[in-house]
Amino acid sequence: MNRKSFVSFVLPSVSVMTFLMVIPLATTIWLSLTDLILRDIDSAPFIGLQNYREVLSDPAFWSAARFTVLFVGITVPIQMLLGLAIALLLDRVHRFRSLYLAAILLPFIVTPVVGTLLFRNLFSRGGLLSWLIELFTGSAFVVDASNVRFLIILHAIWHVTPFAFVAIFAGLQTLPQERLEAAAMDGARTLRSFMHVTLPHLKSVLFFVAIVSIMDSYRVFDSVFVFAGNRFDNSHSLSVYNNVVALDAKIGRLGKGHAIAILTIIGIFVALTPFLIRSYKEQIAERT
Amino acid sequence: MKQSASWLQRVGVHGALLVIVAWSILPLLWTFQTSIKFTRDVAARVPVLWGYDTTAAAYRAYWFDNQNTNMWHVLLAVLLSVAVTSTIVLVGRRSKRSWVFNIAATAVVAVTLYVIGSVWDTSDQYEFLINSIVVTVATIAVSIGIGLLGGYGLARYSGKSGAAILIAALAFRALPRFAFILPFFIIAKSLGLLDSRAVIVLALVAVNQPFTIWMLRTFFLEVPKELEEAAMMDGATRLQAFIRVVIPTMKPGIIATSLFTLLLAYNEFLFIRVLAPTNWTLPVGIVALAGGESSKGITEAAAAAISITLPIVVVIILFQKHLVKGLGAGAVKG
Repeated sequence: MNRKSFVSFVLPSVSVMTFLMVIPLATTIWLSLTDLILRDIDSAPFIGLQNYREVLSDPAFWSAARFTVLFVGITVPIQMLLGLAIALLLDRVHRFRSLYLAAILLPFIVTPVVGTLLFRNLFSRGGLLSWLIELFTGSAFVVDASNVRFLIILHAIWHVTPFAFVAIFAGLQTLPQERLEAAAMDGARTLRSFMHVTLPHLKSVLFFVAIVSIMDSYRVFDSVFVFAGNRFDNSHSLSVYNNVVALDAKIGRLGKGHAIAILTIIGIFVALTPFLIRSYKEQIAERT
Repeated sequence: MKQSASWLQRVGVHGALLVIVAWSILPLLWTFQTSIKFTRDVAARVPVLWGYDTTAAAYRAYWFDNQNTNMWHVLLAVLLSVAVTSTIVLVGRRSKRSWVFNIAATAVVAVTLYVIGSVWDTSDQYEFLINSIVVTVATIAVSIGIGLLGGYGLARYSGKSGAAILIAALAFRALPRFAFILPFFIIAKSLGLLDSRAVIVLALVAVNQPFTIWMLRTFFLEVPKELEEAAMMDGATRLQAFIRVVIPTMKPGIIATSLFTLLLAYNEFLFIRVLAPTNWTLPVGIVALAGGESSKGITEAAAAAISITLPIVVVIILFQKHLVKGLGAGAVKG
């Protein structure tokens, strides 16, 4: 395809992304330097880096940042290991395969806020798991500031593991059976053929799942909002903290909210730039 | 030769999978049985797991303002509509012009929604359902429409700017919602466009576009170039070849990408909560209903959760293969 027709084909997509992503992003940078407030959005007095100084000295920001990093650090590895394990299990099964797939996919595609409520119901008063916990420990289980983080993380594992599982499972389906057989002929045991044949084959899938999972769990909002919302300030993620500062009717500091958004973006790009550069090189290599 | 697994191994594998299935669907099952119980059984300290009386009261409270609505009549109307719709689609599958049948089926669904809304005294939630449907369908149409063009261009062009656009899109995919949502909110508010469905659709199309072009591009890469080259040799322009020759081979890719767009739009909470102060969709409605911890409305919240999840369950059952293929396409090539 020549350059001219390429430009006309990608023009609609690129203009949507320019007008609705690049320009808002640039606006965010500019508004983060102003003292815009929710009650009066017509005036935006310029105040320089004041918002950033304020955010960086706000304990609530650091608490949200720490919890977000903890959340990503725990959920992503667990979801990948569990997803890999389930994919390997299902790969050995042929009967009822699509039934298993449908059931295991469910937590991933259910509406996130609804999934959070479904999950929370098990732990609320009269819920199945809170009752079981009470049976074993003897004391009533109540969601409180000390265990809500645990519930948020447990819910995230329930919710996102199917994504890792299906992606890895799809990767396994493209593994040529002959290679496993060749390894078996050479006398490789199950574990060794897994390490030397299966795992290298899955490398690019695992890379993809890791990147997407890091992106998605870093910006977690829905489940934290439902679990912790107005009740447990110590368990806010960066996005929920951002929402409270910018859009809560009582606070409504839009300027400061923009500064939080920019700091959040810097955070994810510090983590992801090496991956992005690597993907760019791969794309260029594909073309030559 | 694959060694056949022993009897014990097979039982072990199925046993482990059943545990995972139980863990996956337990929250849904638990909430389902909450939704059909009476409040006295839900509030019991020791859960009533068996032999309780069932009621549709929670569903009535969620969907209708008139609490004397006969739920059997509603159920009958819904089942009738489902039966007619699926018959039309199934008959249409054998026909060459299946799109005529699909349009007819869509019309039946639209008429059903209209009739239910005008015959019974429905609640706000019914408005939110209509909003959810309108926003989801519009987002899919616009996203896929422009995404097909973009994805095709990116699959066929070998210049460096193609790679740059793909990586920029990947970077956008990483951004949190708050990178765009506050400017959207401020602009919509100052233009008086809060609550507008068009603004919500535009916002969803934008955040979804990076993913859409990546996924469609992956599917386009599987279509052999010779196909459109032959058509262009016969005198078709690039665009004609694209529409008449390439698009018809893209059905699986379009279905898979549409499914993920459907999930994105139907499931979105934050954008709609911020951009629509009153004109909500179902997820915002249920959080307003059930966000608090009060056990008073717990059966209604449960009925809401089940009602919202039901269409999603239908989607998995009908389109499971396409979903798996879509996730695989992104993963294997991406």
